[in-house]
Amino acid sequence: MPNHLYQLTADQVVSGIKNRRFSAQEYISQILERIEKVDSKINAFTMVNSDDSLERARSIDKRIKDGQDTGPLAGVAVGVKDNICTKGIKTTCASKMLDEFIPPYDSTVVKKLKESDAIIIGKLNLDEFAMGSTTEFSKFGPTCNPWNANFVTGGSSGGSAASVAAQECTISLGSDTGGSIRCPASFCSVVGLKPTYGCVSRSGLISYSNSLEQIGPLGKTVSDVMMTMNVIAGEDEYDLTTRKKKPTSFATTPDTMSSDRLPNYTLQTKRNIRVGLVEELIEGADQAVSKCIYSALDLFAELGCKCENASMKSVQYALASYYTIAMAEASSNLARYDNIRYGFEFSPEDYEWNAYFAKVRNNFGEEVKRRVIVGSYVLSAGYYGKYYLKAQTARRMIKHEIQSLFKKFDVLIAPTMPILPFRLGEKIDDPLKMYMIDIDTVVANLAGIPAISVPAGFENGLPIGLQIMANELEEQTLLDAASAFESIVDIRRSPEI
Amino acid sequence: MISKDEIKHLGWLSRLELTEKEIDKYSRQIDEIIRYFDKLDTIPFRKGELTGSIKTVDELRDDRVEVFEGDPLRSFKNRKDGFVKGPRMA
Repeated sequence: MPNHLYQLTADQVVSGIKNRRFSAQEYISQILERIEKVDSKINAFTMVNSDDSLERARSIDKRIKDGQDTGPLAGVAVGVKDNICTKGIKTTCASKMLDEFIPPYDSTVVKKLKESDAIIIGKLNLDEFAMGSTTEFSKFGPTCNPWNANFVTGGSSGGSAASVAAQECTISLGSDTGGSIRCPASFCSVVGLKPTYGCVSRSGLISYSNSLEQIGPLGKTVSDVMMTMNVIAGEDEYDLTTRKKKPTSFATTPDTMSSDRLPNYTLQTKRNIRVGLVEELIEGADQAVSKCIYSALDLFAELGCKCENASMKSVQYALASYYTIAMAEASSNLARYDNIRYGFEFSPEDYEWNAYFAKVRNNFGEEVKRRVIVGSYVLSAGYYGKYYLKAQTARRMIKHEIQSLFKKFDVLIAPTMPILPFRLGEKIDDPLKMYMIDIDTVVANLAGIPAISVPAGFENGLPIGLQIMANELEEQTLLDAASAFESIVDIRRSPEI
Repeated sequence: MISKDEIKHLGWLSRLELTEKEIDKYSRQIDEIIRYFDKLDTIPFRKGELTGSIKTVDELRDDRVEVFEGDPLRSFKNRKDGFVKGPRMA
């Protein structure tokens, strides 16, 4: 057992509280002290929900003392990315445009977490409206990498990854549109899962690119992530894209279903997995990264998995397709910010309608404005067929090709990020260069498949993540492979801070 | 090449008031981004392959009246006498 309660994994927290080895109040108090001590160094939190968390912890302790049942995440401190609505708690998207927005309802995932007795410990920093790969485009300032504060955390869920690595919360939620969970998970040496499109409800997630994005969990271990998935996955009447179909892995094992709607993922270390390394996703990677991923492939082979190289030609169109679609959807989704329904104090008196909107919307940050303008361009008459329509067709080609690969392989592996974490400010003035680092992650979003990043190694004290992808709704297969890998590598998850 | 006038016009279409400095910067950066998107022109399409969305939604949930606790309109900053104030329609 570790020395401090904030160092525990989710299952250790749940069993410790349930068996009264320590109280939820003691654990939450330690978490809050930890945040107080380290967050000034990394800036992961946008808001800490101290009083409410302590009150909930005391109520859980009382219920356990009274012999009442508690939920599967009872007492666990969960941080929530600040683009996921929390009732009564500010949800800003790290944007001045939502400076004072207090949602009147909980997102479905937060509602489910609360029902499972998890404790929402606070809100976490991100790139404004989740647009970015470094968490530098935030009105709260950048989140710094807990392994080296001069380096980026990755993004856009930088606060979600950094807070888990710095042991300020046990689990966090992020959102992933083109790698926004996996990229910071990789850069911070934690586990991050982007579920199948439609596996987790997006109701209450503030939309950026709704055909690509999914909410997903980050944790120190594969088990942490699995426990969270068991709570947040499932159909939701408030999100019509959530899937009714049960995962195929469960079709023959009905006893693993806890209800009609929720899959019950388990951890099984399987050794006969067919693993394919996607050549096109590793060929442009830094030497240190590719070396680490080839070693990972060797480890899978040592476990008894059947390992081969896989080729995916359509990858060459992935980034252009992804950014065309994401920016088009962004320009449409962000049209709603008119400063009438949400926003900041700025009187509309004496302004004409359009002039007022153009004035107040100038408060979007640099990257958001850039994406909205490009989105308007690719959707405008005359260019729609040239860009948007072709991007959608490329998306279908990618999906088709990846599904044919899953006839031969159970999982596909690649680097999560082709490069190591870099210095803060290094790429901020070169947007295209910044977009290029998403090359390995966007494929899973375009194809709608699940993908996970697991810690795989270090180079010069900076983390490297292994990405594993599986076919749609095959989260169990993905967790099996991640768990198998985790069982034979011993990678540090938390730096000294 | 995307001109500054085009960026200004796109800014207007997107309801974004851009400064001269922003127009300068964005025209350069966005030109580079759009040129990268031209990669999509190299896809070897077969005739009739370019189609629109294949997603269909044929069932929507019923509308329901839901009462929120407190003041659900508290995020509306500009209010007067129970009304929401907006800019004038001209």
